[in-house]
Amino acid sequence: MKRVLEGSQAVAEAVRLARVQVVSAYPITPQTHIVEFLSEYCASGTMNARFLRVESEHSCMAALIGAQSTGVRTFTATSGQGLALMHELLHWASGARLPIVMAEVNRALAPGWNIWVDQTDSLAQRDTGWIQFYCEDSQEVVDTTLQAYRLAESVALPVMVVLDAFFLSHTYEPVDVPEQEQVDRFLPPYEARFRLDTAAPCSFGPLVPPAVYMEMRHDIAQAMEKALSTFREIEDEYAGIFGRRYGAVEAVCCDDAEIVLVTSGTITSTARSVLEDLRGRGEKAGLLKIKLFRPFPVDDVRRALGGAKKIAVIDRNFSFGASGIFAQELRAALCNVPGHAPVFGYVAGIGGRDVTPAVLEDIYWKTKNSAAPERESVWIGLQEVSHGS
Amino acid sequence: MADKAQARSESESPIHIMPRSTLSTEANKTGSWRYLRPRYEEKTAPCSAACPAGEDIGKIEMLTAQGLFKEAWETILRENPFPGICGRVCFHPCEGACNRGEFDDPIAIHSLERFLADTAERYDLKPLMERLPGRPEKVAIAGAGPSGLAAAWFLAQLGYTCDVFEASAEAGGILRWGIPLYRLPLAALQREVAQVEAQGVRIHTGRPVTADLLRDLENAYQAVYLACGHGRTTALRVPGEETDGVGDGLQFLERVRRGETPDVKGVSAVIGGGNTAVDVARTIVRLGGEALILYRRRRQDMPAFGDEVQMALDEGVGLRELVAPERIEKDGDRVLVTLRQMRIAGEEGGRGRIEPDGDRLSRVTVDRLFKATGAEAAEGWYNPPAAGKGIVALSHCALSIRDGGPALAWGGDLANDVKSVVHAVASGKQAAIALDTLFREGPDSILLKLEACTVGNGPPLSMEIHMGGERRLRNRHVVAYGEINTDYFRYTPRMTQPRLVREERARSFAEIDLRVSGNIAMREAERCFNCGLCNQCDNCHLFCPDLAVIRGKDGQGRHINYDYCKGCGLCVVECPRNAMTLEEEGR
Amino acid sequence: MDLELSDREFMYSGHVGCPGCGAAIAMRFLLKALGDKMMMVLPACCWSVIAGPYPTTTLKVPVIHSAFETGGAVASGVRAALDMKGDTETTVVTWAGDGGTFDIGFQALSGAVERNEDFIYVCYDNEAYMNTGIQRSSSTPYGAWTTTTPGKDWKKMRKKNIVEALAAHRIPYAATASISHPEDLVRKVKRAQATKGSRFLHIFASCPTGWKIPSEMAVKIARMAVQTNIFPLYEVEEGLHYTINVKPKRYPVREYFKIQGRFQHLTDADLDVIQKMVDEDWELLLRKAGEHA
Repeated sequence: MKRVLEGSQAVAEAVRLARVQVVSAYPITPQTHIVEFLSEYCASGTMNARFLRVESEHSCMAALIGAQSTGVRTFTATSGQGLALMHELLHWASGARLPIVMAEVNRALAPGWNIWVDQTDSLAQRDTGWIQFYCEDSQEVVDTTLQAYRLAESVALPVMVVLDAFFLSHTYEPVDVPEQEQVDRFLPPYEARFRLDTAAPCSFGPLVPPAVYMEMRHDIAQAMEKALSTFREIEDEYAGIFGRRYGAVEAVCCDDAEIVLVTSGTITSTARSVLEDLRGRGEKAGLLKIKLFRPFPVDDVRRALGGAKKIAVIDRNFSFGASGIFAQELRAALCNVPGHAPVFGYVAGIGGRDVTPAVLEDIYWKTKNSAAPERESVWIGLQEVSHGS
Repeated sequence: MADKAQARSESESPIHIMPRSTLSTEANKTGSWRYLRPRYEEKTAPCSAACPAGEDIGKIEMLTAQGLFKEAWETILRENPFPGICGRVCFHPCEGACNRGEFDDPIAIHSLERFLADTAERYDLKPLMERLPGRPEKVAIAGAGPSGLAAAWFLAQLGYTCDVFEASAEAGGILRWGIPLYRLPLAALQREVAQVEAQGVRIHTGRPVTADLLRDLENAYQAVYLACGHGRTTALRVPGEETDGVGDGLQFLERVRRGETPDVKGVSAVIGGGNTAVDVARTIVRLGGEALILYRRRRQDMPAFGDEVQMALDEGVGLRELVAPERIEKDGDRVLVTLRQMRIAGEEGGRGRIEPDGDRLSRVTVDRLFKATGAEAAEGWYNPPAAGKGIVALSHCALSIRDGGPALAWGGDLANDVKSVVHAVASGKQAAIALDTLFREGPDSILLKLEACTVGNGPPLSMEIHMGGERRLRNRHVVAYGEINTDYFRYTPRMTQPRLVREERARSFAEIDLRVSGNIAMREAERCFNCGLCNQCDNCHLFCPDLAVIRGKDGQGRHINYDYCKGCGLCVVECPRNAMTLEEEGR
Repeated sequence: MDLELSDREFMYSGHVGCPGCGAAIAMRFLLKALGDKMMMVLPACCWSVIAGPYPTTTLKVPVIHSAFETGGAVASGVRAALDMKGDTETTVVTWAGDGGTFDIGFQALSGAVERNEDFIYVCYDNEAYMNTGIQRSSSTPYGAWTTTTPGKDWKKMRKKNIVEALAAHRIPYAATASISHPEDLVRKVKRAQATKGSRFLHIFASCPTGWKIPSEMAVKIARMAVQTNIFPLYEVEEGLHYTINVKPKRYPVREYFKIQGRFQHLTDADLDVIQKMVDEDWELLLRKAGEHA
């Protein structure tokens, strides 16, 4: 049923439909609305779940590790500082092979308190063994969250569904909310492979010596790889029931594009209209949206960018001492492809600064007018700062 | 792999390995860490080492605390046939050695021994005694006093036929004719004499052991044990000793035991400080007379039991200390005694050493005088020979071993330094074991065999050990108070031995100490530390961090699983009663 | 001793606790008192290692090892899941050391107790970070040597009173216990089991290795701690009603300190100060229990 929902509520609806049984919650702007909606659902009985009002994000994840290990479906949401605080336990969740799903609202990291959109927080967790999806709009958020449970439970790895602060979380959009009985067909009840069970006692997470730890980590690596094909199969099934699919990446006009813009999150929506405009003016421009970031869809990316002459990556994040992170991942994906196009890295929209069509146009023309990238990352729209202020 | 799981459906990827454990740690034999090793090793309780009869007192109290009264009683009988008698008249050196005495009060072992005998009597219990197969040798015993009867008892356990020859018309010796009824009722004595006879011992009364009889016995028996006792009062060696009005304390007691009521009108003086003197004085009071004890040392030096002395004083017996008889004279119908005042010149072996206090004399006139300064053998030839060839002098008896003739042994008051009932029992046991060894293995094995069944550091012996019982496995180390873990005990007052009220006591010869109920006895027995013995308290099993102490079926008995024992020593320290030992691994 | 303890054992031999490990004794008592309808959350502590390496485990009950600071939070999650599955029989127990309770784990513990989560939190206290080699925690007593309070820098802060901190939360049931008093410990475990909401047990678990005492003294030293009022045995209900379980004869603290290597450096003057502190704390506890010296 089509409803106009705030982005946060879209998340909450999906969580409700997924019949999540334990939710842990700690407030942090701008994810707080998600847990507030869930709190109301639980209180009113719309959702049959235990709502744990824990005392920090670290405890949020700890509680879910406990609950999931006992054999129930779980959920939490966080942002920025909260995600950073959870870091230790993100590693724990994947190491323990727990199919936890979490909504992550991209928010800039302090100091300098900044509640607005910035992707550095979620990307800084890219090594933790969590599958990461970057969503463009509220519909995609609902669909991706439901698929996340199927995917997580299939490969036994946790999944992060990432959405932009305010531009997605606090924006109202029309959303087709699936019916419960459709979702039940797509997502059966959770059956844990291993759980805490007095009838069959075992110990989770004991001391593991070097002799076997490597094999356990390799198993995680293999599961991550499998997630690529498993995601495709799940999307096929979902499309069959609900009529929507997104792909690990979405290539727009890339077949004959000379310059391809690579974006993620809500910047993609802006880029679509800029692309239409450029094409209208005869520019051979293309757009590649990256949805699945972990595991990185190397094959999809190589295929989409096979014909490009130049690639312009827009990063709303930065890895100090290196470069924008999507640009890094792209360079890594392409480096073994002979004769691949050069990658121009651009950093824009940091700390919630607007990425307008003008910014994207600027990036396109800079790319077109440069023979080669002048440096790893070019920061767009920087202002003059006087020293010693 | 423990955690492998095949995909349960096509949509599920398998997990090949993850951090999850399901196997036990038992494959890790942590016993290899150990450099000290604990083991169960029972040791010797100080009470049993102090008891001249070597009674297994720690065990007796353990059984009593558990309500196993018959078993406790039989445990006494293995080492001492006279719990009913000793439980009334023994001077209980065990209580002096009791480790609990350093914690609060010693266990009332004496009262508990009597309780067990009373219980046996109440339920008419017959003891189940272990007996060795019958032996061909026969032993004759002269004197049916405590030593002779004890020897007969022990020899019967060892498989020998015994004949006891008693001069008087009834068995018992000093138990029958010396000790007054208010201390030892006749029924208690008769019951335990009958118990000895029930072992197959034949007592022939009215058969005094004369030189002629002795010769006959030497021909008919393979050994003769002389236990005729000290039946004659020693002389005062003071002028006027023969005066009319001066009587023999022992004879006085015997007359009263025979049912006579000698005249004790007026005041009777009793010279002496031992139990006999006190017995005479208290008997006089019960017959209606007044008694005055004249003793040459102080009250605390009197060999008589302290309790007895106190009760005598309570009953109105007078006591004059530090006076020695100088001269005795007739004074009309009465007797005049001149006394030399004595004073303490120093301490010697726990007793005051006395010397005359200058020339000070005093006089006292009484209606009669009784001598009770000591006793000796009624016949000189009763006494054992001096050391020499063929004579084995042991701690409580003497042996004469001759080629081509029966062995002779002497025991009881004839051979003991300390003249008491329990020492008499010790004599009988030592003689029995010595003779048994002589018959089975020959004279050269006697000392070895006696050493092998010694309790603690000796001299007490154990018949149970000699007969190969479990007690032989115990370490002879005597447990000291410092080796008891007193954390497991709370201050608990000692039971009070109930007695007749003071006003009642001197009115008759009725027994003064009264019966004790079972619950009081059990509660008192529970106070016993059971030094060196395992009483199944289970501390070792409880505190082992490695679950390496395994309990036997029904919680009885424990053993250590050395596969896992790390040798931490907790079991040994938390054993309240030092029934375990920690030693170096690999010894 | 009059112990109502199951004969069954819920742990195996072959664990790698030090000889004489008080924590192993404490675990054994707890398991026997609780039985096997329980799940254990085990944050980082000595027992993380004692329990044995993959693929083995010393414990016969379901266990989830967890990160150091998460004892209270993981237990909350386990409990929530059991509630959703309709399981009303299984008890959730967190088993943590003093480090994971007093220091790094305090937030999660406080949070869980404030929410009155229905679980039993058991802290076995060996008075330092023993697993990492004897470093000081806020549970380390005044006067102690540790590797981070060595020499002249011996710990001059008092031991944090964790039970008091939780009493301030109005926790339904909190109690101290000692491995030296098994009857008292078992009674408290069973009492905790029968109570709903958050329950806390503070168990004194001596550590021969960290306290520098011979291994065979582990139980005796724990008993001495109780007998000297250094570690009183008491219960608090609803954070308000105090009951003192054992009133010892108040032995002087000197003997307790002299036996342990970790206190060797203390002078008589230091011990006098400590005696005063112990006496004051005991007076305070008596007042709270409505009693007098």
